[in-house]
Amino acid sequence: MLLIRTLHKWFGLILGLQFLLWTVSGAMMALLDHHKVSGEHTVRAPAPLAAPTTLMSIGALAEMVAGPVQGVKLRPLNDRYVYEVKTAMGTSILDAVSGQPMVIDAVAARRLAAAAYVGEGRITAVEPVAKHGLETRGLVLPLWKAKFDDADNTTLYVAATTGEVVERRNDTWRLWDVFWMLHIMDYTDRASFNHPLIITVATGVAWLALSGVILLFRSFRRSDFAWVLDGWDRLRSR
Amino acid sequence: MRLAVPFGAASASSDQVKNMRWPALARNTHKWLALAIGVQAALWTLSGLYMTAVHIDIIHGDHLVRHAAPTPIDLTGLVEPGAVMGGQPSASARLEVQLGRPVYVVAGGTGRALFDARTGRELSPLGEDAARARASELFAGAGALKTVELLAEAPPEIRGRPAPIWRVEFDGWWRPTLYISAQTGELVAKRHDLWRMFDVVWMLHIMDYQERENVNNTLLRVATWTAVVSCASGAWLLIFSFRRRRRARKAA
Repeated sequence: MLLIRTLHKWFGLILGLQFLLWTVSGAMMALLDHHKVSGEHTVRAPAPLAAPTTLMSIGALAEMVAGPVQGVKLRPLNDRYVYEVKTAMGTSILDAVSGQPMVIDAVAARRLAAAAYVGEGRITAVEPVAKHGLETRGLVLPLWKAKFDDADNTTLYVAATTGEVVERRNDTWRLWDVFWMLHIMDYTDRASFNHPLIITVATGVAWLALSGVILLFRSFRRSDFAWVLDGWDRLRSR
Repeated sequence: MRLAVPFGAASASSDQVKNMRWPALARNTHKWLALAIGVQAALWTLSGLYMTAVHIDIIHGDHLVRHAAPTPIDLTGLVEPGAVMGGQPSASARLEVQLGRPVYVVAGGTGRALFDARTGRELSPLGEDAARARASELFAGAGALKTVELLAEAPPEIRGRPAPIWRVEFDGWWRPTLYISAQTGELVAKRHDLWRMFDVVWMLHIMDYQERENVNNTLLRVATWTAVVSCASGAWLLIFSFRRRRRARKAA
């Protein structure tokens, strides 16, 4: 038991700081409302849109894009229907009525972001994103970044190839993300929780917690629970 | 160098606390907080260890599904997607290849459906043979198909997914299972025992024992802050734990 106490002490000295960071970051992530973190209330579902009756024939698509077609999707995009075509070169969109290739430029991205946005803010800037940052991890580049001036500094990301609003970020998420970084110990990308550092430390901290539970059995005496047990005895002897 | 350690809290009211030394107070605080949160702390670290040690791609079952190179689709002679979408507002139609033939996966206001893109014939709802064939086409493992059943309601391990849905289980370690949409033939989810185990430890980690998804529940919030204080009291106790030993050695 003395050995376990010594081990608990030394594991606590070496790994205690990370254990404290795990509890604090875990507590903060439990505290921050995940609806606000995900920004789900800052975008709306698009308004219902009837498909036009005079659509360009799907057979004509093959001549309008370079290379063999791997997939096609006919879908609404804000105020019109588009063909989204996938080839080995990537994805592109065309107006489904005229067949005109559509380019999502800064003006189009601004319009799409504004149409999707729900809130008090207005767009202050629309910038191209060509390089991955913390806010765009896991997304397909290139993107447009639309910044809003609401209280939570909402940012919507619009895919430059498909025009879809693919991500939403805000200050609640940015704060949450710092605790997430501390929790998963991925200090550069904040993306992976399957790396040797965290597995090693988690093993040590698991022992810290388990040895603590074992020590509980030796740390309490009957007198510690006198306030409960004496009352119970009195009740029974009555 | 020795820091002054006060040996009594004069302002405290009860006799017990008045006579208590700082190290004893730290020890008592840590002891009682640990009694409250110790078992959960052990569950947190063990569940965390599982989630970090088994790679998330394995948990997601990426290895269960074949990743075929995208094949070119011949667009000549296809039925127009607008024709199979019906008149539903905001409907969409996606052209893809299932079982070697081009199909349209249609999503609209009233639900989803599957159409043969060459004939325009509706293929949904999928029968058992079609579900079997789709699952075998997608499955990348070595095991043979074991059971196929149509579920009228989504089971807990794919909670929230639309039903009816085909559940197709294969022979093999960790009971690999594919869920195929009866409406569209799409792969909706892939499950195996490592995922199922992950789901259990995730439940233990976030302390939501019903839906296993609310990370903001009150129990978790109370427990995590108790853990913060318990951990901090442990750090406080560390100060005394090491100093006392050094003094003892000097005395000897």
